[in-house]
Amino acid sequence: MLWSNALAPQAELGLALFLAATASAAPADTAFVTCQNGEELSRIDVTEMHETDRWPLPGKPAGVAVGAHGDLFTVSAGSKTIQRLSTKTGEILSQIVLDGGPIGIAQDPRQGRLFVSDWYNARLWVLDDKTLETQTEITTGEAPAGIALSGDGRFVASADKDADQVSVFDAGTLQPLHRIPVGTRPFGLGFAPDGRLFVGNVGSNDVSVLDAESGKRLATVPVGERPYGIAFANNHAFVTNQYSNTLTAISLDTLEPEATIDVGEYPEGIDVTAKGDLLVIANWFDNTVSFVDPDTMSVVRTLETCDGPRAFGRFLEGGRQ
Amino acid sequence: MNRRTFVATIAAASAPGAVWAHGPTRQKVTLTAEVAAPPEDVWAAIGNFDDMSWHPAVFSTEGEGENEIDATRLLTLGQDGGPTIAEVLYKHSAEKMSYSYRITAVEVEVLPVTNYSSHLTVKPRDGGGSIIEWRGAFYRGYPNNDPPAELNDEAAVAAVTGVYQAGLDALVERFGAAS
Repeated sequence: MLWSNALAPQAELGLALFLAATASAAPADTAFVTCQNGEELSRIDVTEMHETDRWPLPGKPAGVAVGAHGDLFTVSAGSKTIQRLSTKTGEILSQIVLDGGPIGIAQDPRQGRLFVSDWYNARLWVLDDKTLETQTEITTGEAPAGIALSGDGRFVASADKDADQVSVFDAGTLQPLHRIPVGTRPFGLGFAPDGRLFVGNVGSNDVSVLDAESGKRLATVPVGERPYGIAFANNHAFVTNQYSNTLTAISLDTLEPEATIDVGEYPEGIDVTAKGDLLVIANWFDNTVSFVDPDTMSVVRTLETCDGPRAFGRFLEGGRQ
Repeated sequence: MNRRTFVATIAAASAPGAVWAHGPTRQKVTLTAEVAAPPEDVWAAIGNFDDMSWHPAVFSTEGEGENEIDATRLLTLGQDGGPTIAEVLYKHSAEKMSYSYRITAVEVEVLPVTNYSSHLTVKPRDGGGSIIEWRGAFYRGYPNNDPPAELNDEAAVAAVTGVYQAGLDALVERFGAAS
């Protein structure tokens, strides 16, 4: 199963639905790129590789999570605001201000929840994914950044940057399960299709591979400088390296770094299409998006986008149109 | 600042969480200048990491490692005993006429930024002369929530822009404006 974790819940809704969508036409993957400096949201048709819309999105947006029901969640770090937007029009359907430093975001559509990390207060807010009202808070290590849901929906994990650890919770009961020591200053993380959890360590320039169930660290893989985001395709993990301006491709079989791919300057957010046939990377300094073929491991196109694209989270919506 | 207080500053900055904590929004600045001299001449003047004498704010440069990766330099600003900025080189290409470096230690009172990285590049200009490009990426000086005005995002951008502008203005004066 190659599509991204964000789309796994959709598979549970029914394979028939997915097959119907693919039978009628190629799935229309859409990327939603948060541009922090320019305070805009760029909507990109990934199949055609062109930008279809650019919408204003105030408050220095960075965090993003594509919802399971035609909606999109964004985090404006400057104004500390969580927005729920229409993926069709960019209209803000609801929003809420959180007292702290909201940064990362992930949706759990099974439980109808959103998780938002608080950079300044060592916690995740747990919000209702419709009303955006806070249901509860769960305690993490210092400076939580990236958040990921496991593909089977059992676990939610946060990369606690200043604690050099990953916190793992039961996604159903919200009980803390593990605090796993990783490399230095973990930031972005994601569950591989096989269930292993990969986290990029900005300070030690490596990726820790974890078993969320047992809480064990399985391996540490060296990558480029300042690894930031992680996505999975073609039986590889692809990691953006902010300072190296590259992707590192790690084999999921051997956990060896197998290839380095040059992309734009300061690559950050990375996500993959529903079919797993194209990676999309936001290059923060260049104001571009790179499209990378995970089979040939090469850039197929570079596209201009808005100022300061970060796309920190799952930002591709696939096969729903 | 004497050497002893400088060492103390490094030690304080290396405390866990202190030097790496940063605000929520990374800032960027790109400034360019067009000069009449060819790229080789400009690069000869500014391409050595251990010599920043071309910048009017720099009183002295104490370099170690020349243009090798991980070379370091300590800039003293203004006058003998003035404030310092410690930097490390992480990329250098004479062929591309470009180098990249990071600040490893600076007081926010001197430059109100954290996690600062920068590239300095010389390119040929259509119609003759050179384009000098100086780019920086950084966070504001105040790592926590709700920064005071002198350490907020705008203050960081204004300070870096000021440094780049002063350096580029000096190069235009030295090498002549492109026409």
